[in-house]
Amino acid sequence: MRIVWFLLEKEFHQLRRNRTLLLLLLAPVVQLLVLSNAANYEIRNLNLVVVDQDHSPAARRLVDKFQYTPYFRLVAVRPSVRAAEQDLLRDRADVVLVVPRHFERALVRERRADVQLLVNALNSVKAGLAGSYAASIVQAYQGEARPATVAAVLAGRGGLEVVPAYWYNPRLNYKTFMVPGLIFQIMTLIVMFLATLNIVREKEIGTIEQLNVTPIRKWQFMLGKLLPFWLAGFYQLSVGLLVARLVFQVPLVGSLPLLYAATALYLTVPLGIGLLISASSRTQQQALFVAFFFLIIFVLLSGLFTPIEYMPAWAQALDRLNPLAYIIRIARMVLLKGSTARDIAGPLGALLLLALTVNALAVWRYRKTSG
Amino acid sequence: MPAAMFAIDLQHLSKSYGPVQAVQDVSLRVPPGELFGLIGPDGAGKTTLFRIMATLLLPDAGTAAVAGHDTRGGMRAIREVVGYMPGRFSLYPDLTVAENLDFFAALFRTTVRANYELIRDIYEPLAPFRDRRAGALSGGMKQKLALCCALIHKPEVLLLDEPTTGVDAVSRQEFWQVLGQLKARGITIMVSTPYMDEAARCERVALLQEGQVLRVDTPAALQAAYPVPLYAVRATGSLYPLLQSLRAYPATRTVYAFGEEAHLSLLPAATAAATTGTAEADLLGYLARAGHAQVQLRGLTPTIEDTFMELLGARPAATAPTAR
Repeated sequence: MRIVWFLLEKEFHQLRRNRTLLLLLLAPVVQLLVLSNAANYEIRNLNLVVVDQDHSPAARRLVDKFQYTPYFRLVAVRPSVRAAEQDLLRDRADVVLVVPRHFERALVRERRADVQLLVNALNSVKAGLAGSYAASIVQAYQGEARPATVAAVLAGRGGLEVVPAYWYNPRLNYKTFMVPGLIFQIMTLIVMFLATLNIVREKEIGTIEQLNVTPIRKWQFMLGKLLPFWLAGFYQLSVGLLVARLVFQVPLVGSLPLLYAATALYLTVPLGIGLLISASSRTQQQALFVAFFFLIIFVLLSGLFTPIEYMPAWAQALDRLNPLAYIIRIARMVLLKGSTARDIAGPLGALLLLALTVNALAVWRYRKTSG
Repeated sequence: MPAAMFAIDLQHLSKSYGPVQAVQDVSLRVPPGELFGLIGPDGAGKTTLFRIMATLLLPDAGTAAVAGHDTRGGMRAIREVVGYMPGRFSLYPDLTVAENLDFFAALFRTTVRANYELIRDIYEPLAPFRDRRAGALSGGMKQKLALCCALIHKPEVLLLDEPTTGVDAVSRQEFWQVLGQLKARGITIMVSTPYMDEAARCERVALLQEGQVLRVDTPAALQAAYPVPLYAVRATGSLYPLLQSLRAYPATRTVYAFGEEAHLSLLPAATAAATTGTAEADLLGYLARAGHAQVQLRGLTPTIEDTFMELLGARPAATAPTAR
């Protein structure tokens, strides 16, 4: 163990000298602040174009409803649908609201009236949200339009309303949901890149030759490489949680020791992968490309941006090998829901299996003697 | 384990990298305490041999034993008792002189203080720079530091791969003095060099060419092995036309550039005549007719390089360079 200590001392000397340390300390904070605010699922200020063919008070009230929300901004009123379509084509409009002729009459007589929504679906997430915001505004409008006109009729109808209750995130605050995932995404990126570059850097500058002729054991060497970034991972988690709590007011419901324990296990997976890539590469460039390949897959399939359940079956199957997917699930469960060790036993077991496999491969792949 | 007869014992070593045969059936034996030189041009297989001896590379065929341990089974034991200095500077450029030294001492479970005696002469000129990063040292200082790191665990066998390449003449001189001191302490030293003048400072040398050992002998014996009288020829003007003329001379046996002179040996018939002095007169007359002015001709004591060139020329397969 003393040898490992000297290796650690050496790694920290080196970290202190180049700017890697700065990256390690500052990057997680900056990235979390930027990404959390950028990866926003709330969309505001959608550009709204209105085509009012009814010119009635009821139509004007509906348009007002749109304007009073923070989601829409009225940019133009067009005389015809064709003119509004031009706005869509030129990207001046995200949503076109068409109020047809006889809108008010239909509303009064038939107690229901149709409007047309044209949504620019170039960005499907934005389009989906715009569509549902608009639909809920129209629905609410009809709901309040009714009592004034046909209150009596409505009273006789057996109305059924569904009121959803959102557990663990009652106000559907997307930051509550994103920040825990982002903490681990950023941690994985930084830690895995650094681990990847580490051994291969010693290969490039030739120091590995000098190390390999010493009596140092393989496991000591690997441990000396792994530990500094493992510790860096804990720092990143701690800073991440602080930012989550203080800046984004994410409720930290669950047991923090449990989350740290899970992180301790989790970190050995990206680190092991990094060391495996590093041990198998000849140059830093080569190693970076391979690491990048894996990281992109890990991040995109992590369930951070797209729910895993929406993915095709093959992608879900692939995700069984994705450590980031497991830890993000664990982080959300523990932080937002207060899950216990028993609740997260499944993903924890999977991580343990991945950790053992990857690190065994890395130790096996690193050779002090070549054939 | 019985005391090893040889500090280094290589038997029929072969190693190829794909189609390139780097080392071919090399056998060498170095008794304990010897200062042994591997001499040969770039690509002769010196580094491959070092990497095999340092347990970094396994040979395709043959066996290598260092300090009595086989490099296949006894890697771990070898690593305890061997100091290896790769041809390329291989210390941490971002660690200081002292940190590098402490680190390598620690890896061998020892301290700089415990073995300071051994490295003192080498380390003292470095001491004022102990807090400077290794990457910022001059070439000669880097070599000294690397040697310190290779010595810090009191190795029995020291493997030095071209330690003086790229080092200034004064530092080279100092370096060889240090090797002499280390040898006096009983350390076996295997050193490679492309410089023939350094070969003379070894007790024995092996001449290597294209992965094969041409000859192993003492420098004196190698010099004495040169078979015929050797001349140095010079004239005014550039060397090249002189070489051309000498090559065209019918009695020429070998001729090649050596610094600013041409080294020339003559065919046996002419050599026999040389005792009477007629061969030299004949040659001078020939060169004068060929238009060379102020031709100087003198007899030479062959150096190891001359022997080396001779051995290369004797090998049918070798692309014997008659001029460099």
